[in-house]
Amino acid sequence: MNLRPKRTYASSAILWLYSSFTLFVLVYMTYQAFRSKKELLSNTFGWPDVFNFANFKKLFVDANFLRYLFNSTWILVAVLAIIILLSSMVAYGIGRFQFRFKSTVLLYFLIGLMFPVQLGIVPIFLLIRDMGLLNSQWGVIVVLASGLSMPVFLLTTFFEKLPKDLYESAKIDGAGEWTTFIRVMFPLASPVIFSICIIMSVQIWNQFFVPLIMLQSEANKTIPLMIMKFTNNLMYNIDLAMVGSVMATVPILILFFLFSGRVLEGVASGGIKG
Amino acid sequence: MTWFKKRPFLWFILPGFILYSLFSVYPIFSAFQISLNQWDGIGVKTFVGLDNYVELFGNDELFAQLTGAFRHSVILFLLNALAVLPAQLYMAYLLYSGIRGHRFFQAMIFSPQFIATPVIVFMGTLIFDGNIGVFNKLLEAVGLGEWTRPWMGVPEFGIFIVWIMVAWSGIGVGMIFFLGAMKMISSEVMEAALLEGASYWRRFFSIVLPQIKTTVLNMLILTYIFAMTMFDYSFILGGVSGGINRSVDVMALFFYRIAFGDNSAVGGTMNVNAMGMGTTIACVMFAVIFIVAIIQVVITYRRTED
Repeated sequence: MNLRPKRTYASSAILWLYSSFTLFVLVYMTYQAFRSKKELLSNTFGWPDVFNFANFKKLFVDANFLRYLFNSTWILVAVLAIIILLSSMVAYGIGRFQFRFKSTVLLYFLIGLMFPVQLGIVPIFLLIRDMGLLNSQWGVIVVLASGLSMPVFLLTTFFEKLPKDLYESAKIDGAGEWTTFIRVMFPLASPVIFSICIIMSVQIWNQFFVPLIMLQSEANKTIPLMIMKFTNNLMYNIDLAMVGSVMATVPILILFFLFSGRVLEGVASGGIKG
Repeated sequence: MTWFKKRPFLWFILPGFILYSLFSVYPIFSAFQISLNQWDGIGVKTFVGLDNYVELFGNDELFAQLTGAFRHSVILFLLNALAVLPAQLYMAYLLYSGIRGHRFFQAMIFSPQFIATPVIVFMGTLIFDGNIGVFNKLLEAVGLGEWTRPWMGVPEFGIFIVWIMVAWSGIGVGMIFFLGAMKMISSEVMEAALLEGASYWRRFFSIVLPQIKTTVLNMLILTYIFAMTMFDYSFILGGVSGGINRSVDVMALFFYRIAFGDNSAVGGTMNVNAMGMGTTIACVMFAVIFIVAIIQVVITYRRTED
């Protein structure tokens, strides 16, 4: 079925212009990352005299980039693991079994969609402080991992749609509830889990607010906080800001462009429908 | 134990239930309870009833900050709802109809979503800065030299600069959601419309738009919640104080300033009451979101009733 409009020149032009702008910003930033601080500030648009990897060396050696990378990665992996485990269990519990207050329990898990973490951050801060987790990555991890609403919603919808025969046949084979869950149901849900991973990863990786409030010492901070440290004093740190931004952005975007088809499919199926 | 054995679902639900309740639900109620006290977070809590709310709306300085921040949040929402949302629909429809190069376009338009906010603000600086910005250079190149401004530093532009960055970074998400919803439309309906000879835009307004109405409404409420709780762009751009003349101040930043940040702006009771007043503002934000969310639910519910 051909749904294309007859004349696409104007629309195409708009999309080309917009896409090339985005591409330009990325390429321009990467190009500037190879130039010295002096040149960046005094000869921004001129031809480069210096063009080398000195800034990268400075970022990795002096600014301890790998430390921040490790912190960000550790938080991402831990939060994803907890969210996937807990939300699939909750969703399986709600979707598979019949019990009273079933819809109330689901609704309870959904109200979190309406209230971002900003609103409750004062009590969360006090709670984390009293648990002694302030300035520890575990504080950030438990707070971010408690955002179960979206994954629970997507997975519950999935488990409810599975034919009941599937549960029955697994039962007849003599598998207990947990075996059924781990061996049969969890693998079945992997496409949904994949799209949850994609959507949550973006949110967790770029999370700014919670680490800002929870993490105080430099050794525990994440990449976004590192970049803000550099951009706060551009006259002094513009080279590190530039190269830090490139390292925080370009590798991830290359990964995204390689797998964009699958990733965008995952995002689309995570759109909250109806 | 037999009670538990009869209810195996409890074992599945409980761990998630506890974590979610502790860090996502309890804080909302706790915030309301704290907002009834005068408290700095460490010392003695003094119960003061609704005094914090009275002070928030009665103290001229606080009320000015509140209305300023709220106005900016509303501007952000309106710009997103009236400019970004239609653009998302437009682009999603172009991609849906398989315009040439659609794979490249959708990846390109979505990609800023993967960029952390500090980097986006830094990119904004690279473009709009008075001295090193590309935009001014461009203006000079085309002979509009007298139009150059230090765009990031002009208070009047503050919230619009924030909006440009927000829009650039977030436009792809809504577009992909709309595209996903459009792909769910049954191909029979579209084929029938094609046979009838309905034009490209006719098909959009009479078939596609009504079919994805729920997704559009959902997107609208998400946009609203986002505008009311957006924090990072304003904080990175303007710092705790919200920029020159608080020109990029928004609700969440105002809240952060009172609860965690400022020591100078208001003085007086503020420091000893950081947690009390902070949670009071959070509760006002909560109410502002809740009212609109309820309206949204009622509208959607009515529609499904029809």
